[in-house]
Amino acid sequence: MTAQSLSSVDPAAAGSTGRTAGSAPAAPPRRRRGLRAERLAPLVLLAPALLIIIGLRLWPLVLGINFSFTGDGDRNGMAVGFDNYATLFADPLFRTALRNVGLLVLLLPVAVAIPGLLATFIYLKVPGHRLYRGVYFFPAVLSPVIVGAIFNLLLAFDGPLNKLLGGLGLGPVDWLGDPDVAIFAVVGVHVWATFGMALVVFLAGFATLDPSLLDAAKVDGATLPQTIRHVIVPGLTRTIQFVFVTTMIGMLTSMFGLIYVMTTGGPEGSTYLPEYYIWIQQGQMNQPALASAASTALFLIMLVVGLAQIGILRRAGKED
Amino acid sequence: MTGPRLTRWVVAVPMAALALATIYPLVFTTNVAMKTRREYVLDRFSLADSLSFANIVKAWTSVGMSRYFLNSVVVVACSVALLLLFGSMAGFALARLTFRGSSTLFLGVLAALFVPFQVIMVPLARIMADTGLIDTYPGLVLAYVAQFLPFTIFLLTSYYSTVPPDIVDAARIDGNTVYGVYWRIMLPIGAPALLSVGVLNALFCWNDVLISLLMMPSAEHRTLMVGVTSLRGQYSDDIPTFASGVLIAAIPVLVVYLFLQRQIADGVTAGSTKG
Repeated sequence: MTAQSLSSVDPAAAGSTGRTAGSAPAAPPRRRRGLRAERLAPLVLLAPALLIIIGLRLWPLVLGINFSFTGDGDRNGMAVGFDNYATLFADPLFRTALRNVGLLVLLLPVAVAIPGLLATFIYLKVPGHRLYRGVYFFPAVLSPVIVGAIFNLLLAFDGPLNKLLGGLGLGPVDWLGDPDVAIFAVVGVHVWATFGMALVVFLAGFATLDPSLLDAAKVDGATLPQTIRHVIVPGLTRTIQFVFVTTMIGMLTSMFGLIYVMTTGGPEGSTYLPEYYIWIQQGQMNQPALASAASTALFLIMLVVGLAQIGILRRAGKED
Repeated sequence: MTGPRLTRWVVAVPMAALALATIYPLVFTTNVAMKTRREYVLDRFSLADSLSFANIVKAWTSVGMSRYFLNSVVVVACSVALLLLFGSMAGFALARLTFRGSSTLFLGVLAALFVPFQVIMVPLARIMADTGLIDTYPGLVLAYVAQFLPFTIFLLTSYYSTVPPDIVDAARIDGNTVYGVYWRIMLPIGAPALLSVGVLNALFCWNDVLISLLMMPSAEHRTLMVGVTSLRGQYSDDIPTFASGVLIAAIPVLVVYLFLQRQIADGVTAGSTKG
């Protein structure tokens, strides 16, 4: 994506168009007066977008980082150095949130492997493959609020899932009420709801794969695991990298709705994630400076995770 | 597939089971919405005695879902219109009117793409409060436009980069101004990309809960998703009505999905492969 798009806005690459727009030596004289307005055209076309992005995305980012070094309540507006960060890392709720981020990072390979495998089977035309893409992708377009509300009913202590387990002779599990279980239930629902997104991306990647390589593997009598290991994974490095990064970003920034509806952070604060912590501190506890510190921490986590993953995958890609 | 016939079926059975598990929650919810409270308490799984829309009507009229629904429709429509207008203007300028610094600007847009809402929500709420835009429809629309504009620009810039420069040149030789080229050539040519990014943005805005919670504190301004979350507390002992509210919020998405699945997938996968 990036390389392609960047090269296409490169002045050298699309120079001919620009020059026609700028100098226009062949233009009839009556159009000369319009030239000044014409030269300003890119700026005019870009102005609304730039104003909005700078004013409501980049400026708040700077403001927020700045804000995280000031105080709350009585010390409103005063510079307090790293006090908010000290408070933050001493807060058991934020520590739980960080621990849960660690859990998400550990579960990430699973969340990528499941749609990857399913996409492989669909690509290799298992019976019914035409149907699956449309079915699997559907939950991904539903709001986390709707998904969370539905699973509130399904995972209730006296709900369908426990009834099903009871039928198999397994004891009821307090999916959303047990502090050791709830975070896994919430993450599980998130994976259920979003794996279709990654699946569709994988299928788009498969479409770019050279079919003759697969045919060659087939002729050579390669098994399915061998085909995946030696043909599909090397051929899809870029797609896999994209899925890793977008899945991680999804886990860190789009689970608010689920937590808000399913557990409100509980039981005993066990399902907190940084984004939920920020919301609580800002909206409920009225501690915007502390919330800003948590925002900055989340931003750093996302930067580190993103860069680390790109680095690891790039190295893995070179070895193959 | 590489394996023998048996392997295909070994894989096919779990995949079919997963497909059922993907559909079942929505079927369950629909069934619950058709039941009376008594039916639900007695047996959660049995099919509803009759196709009864009483709960849905109740959720729509007396619970206030119609108001939330209307709020969402207005906000989503305005947000998507502005996103497509500003996004296509910027995408055209970045892709086809190269000027000094245009690639730097594109990088800036990409950078904004990686700033999640959670990171800027505290200062953004303050800016909105200072400008009197908090708890107003224009404020929420502006917040959505700011949130999804970088993605929109990114997608439309990529799309317009594939439009042959000759088309632009020819239109200018015919006497069009830059604005004329944008309005008469680029907007119509961009229709497939505009549809794809428009549907995706509509889904993002429709499904959002965090931005709406932050920007719209008063009850009468609630969007549909916030409305659904408020139902949970109010109707915890009337699950069929709650399920009806959930269904009302899900049905428009289902309809859009049935008709525009390919466009949604195109938007989601943009940027994942080269070219």
